Amino acid sequence: MASRLVAREARGASGKILFFVACLAVGVAAVVTVAGLSDGVDRGIRGEARRLLAADLAIRAERPIPSEAVRAVEALLAARPGSRRASVHEMATIVSAPGRDGTPGPSALALLKGAEEGYPFYGEIRTKPEQAARRALGPDEALVAPELASKLRIGEGDTLRIGGRDFVVRGEILSEPDTLRVGFSLAPRVLISFAGLGRTELEAFGSRVDRTMLVALAGRVDAREVETAARSVRRALPESSGVRVQTYADAQPALRDGLRRAARFLGLVALVSLILGGIGVSQAVRAWLATRVDAIAVLRCLGVRPGEVVALYTAEAALLGLAGSVAGIVAGIGMLAVAPRVLSGVLPDVPLSVWQPQAMLRGLALGTGIALAFSGPPLSAVRLVPPLRVLRREAEPLRPGGIAAILIALVLFAGVWGAASIQSGSHRIAAAFTVGIFVAAALLAGAGRLLMAGASRISGRRVRVMLRYGLAALVRPGAGTLTAVTSLGLGVLVVVALALVERGLVARLRAELPARSPNVFLVDMQTAQWADVQRILADAGATHVTGVPIVNARLVSIDGVPVAELVRRRSGGGRREWILTREQNLTYMDALPSDNVVVEGKLWSDPGRAEISIERDFARDMGASLGSKVVFDVQGVPQELIVTSLRTVDWKSFGVNFFLVVEPGVLDRAPQMRVAAARVPAGSEQPLQDRLAAEFPNVTLLKVREIVEKVAAILDRLGLAVRLVGGFAILAGIAILAGAVGATASRRGREVALLKTLGATRGGVVGVFFVEFALTGLVAGLVGTSGGCLLAWGVLTRAMELEWTWRPLVLVAAPLGTIALSVIAGIAASASALRKRPIEALRSF
Amino acid sequence: MTVPRIQIRGLSKRLPSGNALLTVIDRIDLSIAPGEFVAVLGPSGSGKSTLLALMAGLDRPSEGEILLDGRPIQNLSEDDLALLRRRSIGFVFQSFQLLGNLTARENVLLPLELADIEGAAARADALLAAVGLSARGHHYPSQLSGGEQQRVALARAFAPEPAILLADEPTGNLDQATGRLVLDTLESLRRDSRATLVLVTHDPDVAGLADRRIHLRDGRIDREERRIAEPVA
Repeated sequence: MASRLVAREARGASGKILFFVACLAVGVAAVVTVAGLSDGVDRGIRGEARRLLAADLAIRAERPIPSEAVRAVEALLAARPGSRRASVHEMATIVSAPGRDGTPGPSALALLKGAEEGYPFYGEIRTKPEQAARRALGPDEALVAPELASKLRIGEGDTLRIGGRDFVVRGEILSEPDTLRVGFSLAPRVLISFAGLGRTELEAFGSRVDRTMLVALAGRVDAREVETAARSVRRALPESSGVRVQTYADAQPALRDGLRRAARFLGLVALVSLILGGIGVSQAVRAWLATRVDAIAVLRCLGVRPGEVVALYTAEAALLGLAGSVAGIVAGIGMLAVAPRVLSGVLPDVPLSVWQPQAMLRGLALGTGIALAFSGPPLSAVRLVPPLRVLRREAEPLRPGGIAAILIALVLFAGVWGAASIQSGSHRIAAAFTVGIFVAAALLAGAGRLLMAGASRISGRRVRVMLRYGLAALVRPGAGTLTAVTSLGLGVLVVVALALVERGLVARLRAELPARSPNVFLVDMQTAQWADVQRILADAGATHVTGVPIVNARLVSIDGVPVAELVRRRSGGGRREWILTREQNLTYMDALPSDNVVVEGKLWSDPGRAEISIERDFARDMGASLGSKVVFDVQGVPQELIVTSLRTVDWKSFGVNFFLVVEPGVLDRAPQMRVAAARVPAGSEQPLQDRLAAEFPNVTLLKVREIVEKVAAILDRLGLAVRLVGGFAILAGIAILAGAVGATASRRGREVALLKTLGATRGGVVGVFFVEFALTGLVAGLVGTSGGCLLAWGVLTRAMELEWTWRPLVLVAAPLGTIALSVIAGIAASASALRKRPIEALRSF
Repeated sequence: MTVPRIQIRGLSKRLPSGNALLTVIDRIDLSIAPGEFVAVLGPSGSGKSTLLALMAGLDRPSEGEILLDGRPIQNLSEDDLALLRRRSIGFVFQSFQLLGNLTARENVLLPLELADIEGAAARADALLAAVGLSARGHHYPSQLSGGEQQRVALARAFAPEPAILLADEPTGNLDQATGRLVLDTLESLRRDSRATLVLVTHDPDVAGLADRRIHLRDGRIDREERRIAEPVA
């Protein structure tokens, strides 16, 4: 019965239904695309987990793997004959082509990987030529990434110098199983054998090395057995050793965590499109109900109760919500099919299925929920249609009273908040998002009202009547100006804010470094080499040269509480755990550099104690404060230090700075390396690197400009993904504008016919429409752009502490683009009205 | 011999009706002199409004020719037809058809500005005065009575001083007294402007004012009557 009534009700409203469905579908498509990509990549990573670890089990550390762990692994291997292990060590270093006639050859920063035979246990290394990977690498053989080969102009059979030793290039390495090609690598790969790595002696120099021991268990082992094995290794390790034991089932936890966070952010951006869809739905329902008021009055006369009328139309809205969600899901599947191609280099290189049931379910739930929440306000008026209207047409539906209106607003607010909670996974972020959306929508609606008030006040004496006619069109009943300005403006706001934040970040990265800032850093240098390196720097014309000692240590306890206990006390893990258990870099110096400011306590103020000065935020994250006693394990020797000062550091100065600075005299005899920074004249960075590579192959030179460019390029690519999702919001805004125009099609058609009868040409009528849509676009564009600027300003200056720069191009292009989009969409949606021939003026009147 | 203002030769109009074509106007020949007032009468469906639309270039004939001042219009483009109407043809509808977003005065101004006529404002005011609505110029159509709306429509139709005025049952939606007032206004405006008037009506009294009455039946001219010139007193 109900479905028959619903079907009858929908008869003759196909245009409005189509609009309802389209509005919702755009938003649902955005939600499904983001969720589908996130789920798909996550599933892809988990599906390929063994290959991505290249093993069943991996033990990772930034220092030599403790003997306890090695013994535990050996016990595992003994218990399961046929099981294997292989060590893989990775480090950043400078490699070079051999020089000629006394001039050093070209050099480049590379990520060097030395792997024991057996690596990889799962997956394969792809090379060019293909056979290059067929047999194990010899101690003097290397595989190099194509970009490195072309940079150093070397090929198969040529010589590559690593750590001062010659290697023969056996081929180019195209992919490794345990490296997800996501375009994030800061330096190209060089793969050598473990014996080859030994030849370079780079590890012996004390360079920073990531060490991994891979284990493949014999036979068919499942995740549970691997986890048991992992637990046996973990148990053998001393507490808070900083050693991570991963199984393939963990499947790249850091990467997946990063993807999840990205998906939550993009999920909120997608939700903006869905909320815009909701505004469109609200408008469609209102327009549809306006045509049903008489029918509702008749139903009421026939004895249908108000609640039943509401239920009938709510059911209809729910059905349409389902239809719109399904259409959006289908569109989302289409987006998922093309996304890997559009976003190549941004998405991890794993197989991606378009079939993502969870994402589809999310689209269905959010789509239907938003449709119902936004149908609420117009539907609530249905209760109040008086049956008297059957007799007296002027008996208008009453407006919902105070409490009802508040309830409706609360339902809407709760709906948006609930959807934002699902998308962001955080009630707090969801609340901020919801308030932000409502404030922005209110501001835009206010601007829309001002536009309408202004349009109706413009004096007829000043402007020509056709222009006046265009202005008047903005104010006509049911013109949808408010909805169009609000929705289009919100879309513009989101896109402008995203664009400005991205540009702000990239510009900050690419900004000219302050004149005194270093533009090269030298790491992995031995103390004994410092004097000679200084000479080479001087030859290269370097200025502002600073070199400081660096001592590796591990945190043991704070105020007598062991790190393991501190980690346990701090739920949440993540960054804090990493801060406590990471390999710490200590330095010592007499006076702090000028970009350090002591904000609490006094530097080296207690002559009787060994002191440490900690960067304020780092101290907070560690859980240390002024007067805390911290104990470090300095390569086997415990060292107690008292915190006598807290500092702030201006990291933007690019100087050599440390979280942890120790009083001079305490660590002078500890094993140490040296890190240096210098400013070298433009153009001399590469020759300096080439010379250092030839004379001190263990010294790694990092060029700030090169790294910044790479990070900027990555941001640029990520920005593409963000802009694509943001684009849905604009699309939704345009759909709503077009829908609002479509809703007035018959009235527009009548007016067009009449204007033509009075002698207006088609061009003249288009001119009238142009005025109307250009003004709508102008207001939406101006307010949206201003809102976007405000949001971006807040994010950049408050959250990221960057300087704000006005971007005239965005400020001009965004409103102009909005005007263009508004005019194109509006006139396109008016096409059928524009085609009306004047004869129809006679026929239909 | 003067060129007729409107000349119609072998005019036919067929419209699709289901699968067949319905002949609405059937080989009509008609000539209307400058300044002449012609009333078109006939039962519903006899083709009166279609004939009016064809004369105004609002619709295109299936066969035959329409000449305005000796110039054939049936092959003009839509925009050329619009320009022709802008300068030469005024229209009055049964249901007034004022633009609801514009005031009475702005409705009268619209065709004047479209035609780029100098002194548009003064002319609009003069016309509003002529139809007795000087005081209502700033009112929107929804604030006016039916008779007032139709008088504004008359002012709008006469605004660009068209050579031809086409009226489709202009009193059809009005009570008798108001209709009379509107007709008087129409007649006085016409006399002043010397426009040719073609008026479609059901009302024999209204038709009685015309120089010539043309009765249509099934798309053909059934009969024509001329008003006998009243003896000058």
